[in-house]
Amino acid sequence: MSVLSLDHVVKRFGDFTAVDDLSFAVPEGGIFGFLGGNGAGKTTSLRMALDIIRPTSGRIEVLGRAPGRENAADVGFLPEERGLYRRMTVLDTVVYFGRLKGMAAGAATKAAQGLIDRFGLGPWSRQAVDKLSKGMSQKVQLATALVNSPRLLILDEPFSGLDPVNQAVLEELVLEMARGGSTVVFSTHVMQHAERLSDRLLLLSRGRKVFEGTQDEARATLPGRLVLTSRADPSGLAGVASATAAGPAGDGWAAWKVELKPGADAGDLLQACTASGFALRQFETHKPSLHDVFLHLVGADQEIVK
Amino acid sequence: MSRALLIAAREYRQIAATRGFWVVLLMIPLMIAVSQFAGKLITPQASVAYVLVDASGQYAPAIQHRMELSYQRAVLGDLAAYVQKWKVGSASPGAVWASGPRWFSDAEAQTFIAQGGLPAALGQIAPRLPADATPFKSAEPRLYIPVDPPAGVPIDQGPDAFGAAMAGPLQGDVVTHDGKRPLTLAVYIPKDFGASADPARVWSNGRSTGPLIDTIRAELTGRLRAQALQTSGLAPAVFTRIESLAAPMTIANPPEGRGRAQVVVRSLLPLALVYLLLITVMVTGAMMLQSVIEERSNKLMESMLACVRPSELMYGKLIGIGGIGLTTVVFWAACAVGAAFFAAQGMAADFLKPSLVALNHPWIWGAMVFYFLAGYLVVSMIYLGIGALSDSMQDAQAYLMPVVAVIMLPTVLMMAATAQNPNGVLPHVLSWIPIYTPFAMLARLGSGVSQVEVLGTGAMLILFLAVELYLLGRLFQVSLLRTGQPLKLGGVIKLIRQSEAV
Repeated sequence: MSVLSLDHVVKRFGDFTAVDDLSFAVPEGGIFGFLGGNGAGKTTSLRMALDIIRPTSGRIEVLGRAPGRENAADVGFLPEERGLYRRMTVLDTVVYFGRLKGMAAGAATKAAQGLIDRFGLGPWSRQAVDKLSKGMSQKVQLATALVNSPRLLILDEPFSGLDPVNQAVLEELVLEMARGGSTVVFSTHVMQHAERLSDRLLLLSRGRKVFEGTQDEARATLPGRLVLTSRADPSGLAGVASATAAGPAGDGWAAWKVELKPGADAGDLLQACTASGFALRQFETHKPSLHDVFLHLVGADQEIVK
Repeated sequence: MSRALLIAAREYRQIAATRGFWVVLLMIPLMIAVSQFAGKLITPQASVAYVLVDASGQYAPAIQHRMELSYQRAVLGDLAAYVQKWKVGSASPGAVWASGPRWFSDAEAQTFIAQGGLPAALGQIAPRLPADATPFKSAEPRLYIPVDPPAGVPIDQGPDAFGAAMAGPLQGDVVTHDGKRPLTLAVYIPKDFGASADPARVWSNGRSTGPLIDTIRAELTGRLRAQALQTSGLAPAVFTRIESLAAPMTIANPPEGRGRAQVVVRSLLPLALVYLLLITVMVTGAMMLQSVIEERSNKLMESMLACVRPSELMYGKLIGIGGIGLTTVVFWAACAVGAAFFAAQGMAADFLKPSLVALNHPWIWGAMVFYFLAGYLVVSMIYLGIGALSDSMQDAQAYLMPVVAVIMLPTVLMMAATAQNPNGVLPHVLSWIPIYTPFAMLARLGSGVSQVEVLGTGAMLILFLAVELYLLGRLFQVSLLRTGQPLKLGGVIKLIRQSEAV
């Protein structure tokens, strides 16, 4: 069952098409990464899923229902642009959002207090938000998204503005939420976060989907690359698209950078070398990064970060 | 609790926790309290002292007598009105004050003095006054109090010496039988006044003493004319009879508390409500504006809109900040009513109580509450709309200034026009323009507005509120996440019409 699905969704703002015929489905459980450069349509898609804005056409389902505040009890949302009521206390803020999501006062207070303690904010729970540091405020903001123990947690660029320590804390929290059974959907333009966290990925470019699948499936879209050291030129081997000399390795050996043909497997190549007596001294496969995948699929003109 | 009510409760608590709210809330009770004891302190002292030196010995008693007659005539007028109000003329049917207020002649004022004046009259009517009668209070103070020349001022060395010596005392106060008063005038009547060309001399400190000088001049002129007539052979008795002649005239005034006075009294509370409405909407409107802008500028809007609909946010804010406005007004009203019925003096007793009592039709009270609330909503929604369009208070100012001018200027002009003529053209016209209807109708309620007009303007106002609410809802839907430069009016209209960008 998918917790979030978009079916041929289009969103236009006047003449500008922000999301163009987008279809994908997020399966229940796990972490789903939404990747794309600035203006790719990530935030617009997430806003449509939350019914903050409505699609021009197409169909969206969230937890089996149409988008709307009726889903608020099961959804947590951390927007990219974050803010809080400055004069409200930490506890009141988290309880307030819990209540807006349909929680009873007692349950909201208990959950809020638990999160505040867990985030190390206990001593500040009665302090006004404007007395907190930026890092603390971000934790409070996160607590407002988690207070209702959401089945679906949507995080829009959650790591932006966080220092490395808090990024690591948030990464651990995302993993913990997923282990607890929640489905986490997060958007990012930082490939490292997506690489470390995502079970499945959606790559967007200019409002259109360019890839949906697992990380391995994403990497499989790139031709295989490897480095080998041999006495002979490997260009003629089966499955090799090209081989570039990388310099002598001494005693008649030479290093080669090899790119495989689409669909060719490095293991098959190794087996063929062994069977045909093609002498090898080094055979090292190169695993492409998501950044490589992104550049391959989307192009280098998109603003993304390794 | 619905999400709109949760938002309303938060808005209410946040504003109620500010110092500004408490300052506004306590403003009216403080004013009422101050008026209880500060009325006399802040009212300028009306009565002044003067020195009269009559070297001839012929004129001073007549002048003093004339001043006393003028004062007693004013007291008699007030007493006659008081007697008529409390229906106690039967205490002494023959007394000059028993037959109601009118212009009293010198002879009647003289008779009043001869019959013991005010103390004797009050003694006569006291047993017949009803239990709830307020004590008699004359509106006329004794304006001019004669005093003896200050010590050291020569009165027998001629006018120049007298005038020179009075220059100093005329700059200060002197002690009179009514307490300290500013010495404003010194008069010197020469020994052979009338027989020689020497004039009566008057020294003033510049403060207005026109009526006193007019009285002295009239009395001296009268005496000179009498002397001239007697010299020419007119018998003193004939002169006295001619002097006492007064043109017969009757003046029909409405009974106490009726006619124009009634209109004024009945209008006091509704007019006060217009000003309270203006103050309340401007103060709470600013709070409302700040609240929406805080959510926009603090980047809270997206978090909020993930949990609540824009319309719920709008209703919540309207209810919450409307609650603040209502709390303020109900608190003010409770203080005013309490003060009106328990205070014995000051603004509450003099103005509020008579106005509350005069508004004796239940529908007027209903109309007052309706127009007040409707006016509050009309302006509050405009402020909310401005907040929905603005990223900062600076942006909001661009919208706010023309809006405030459009509301305030005609309203202030209308209030001035209403004071002259409540049923004039401007108040009538503004009564049918919805944005001004609450102000104009409140201002006119005390002057006898027909129920048909109340129903007609009320229906139109309800319709206007419905349209305004619909447009505000649309504006909230399309503008809360909008950023960029403040829009012009055309841009706002275009934004409202954008149904797709919900």
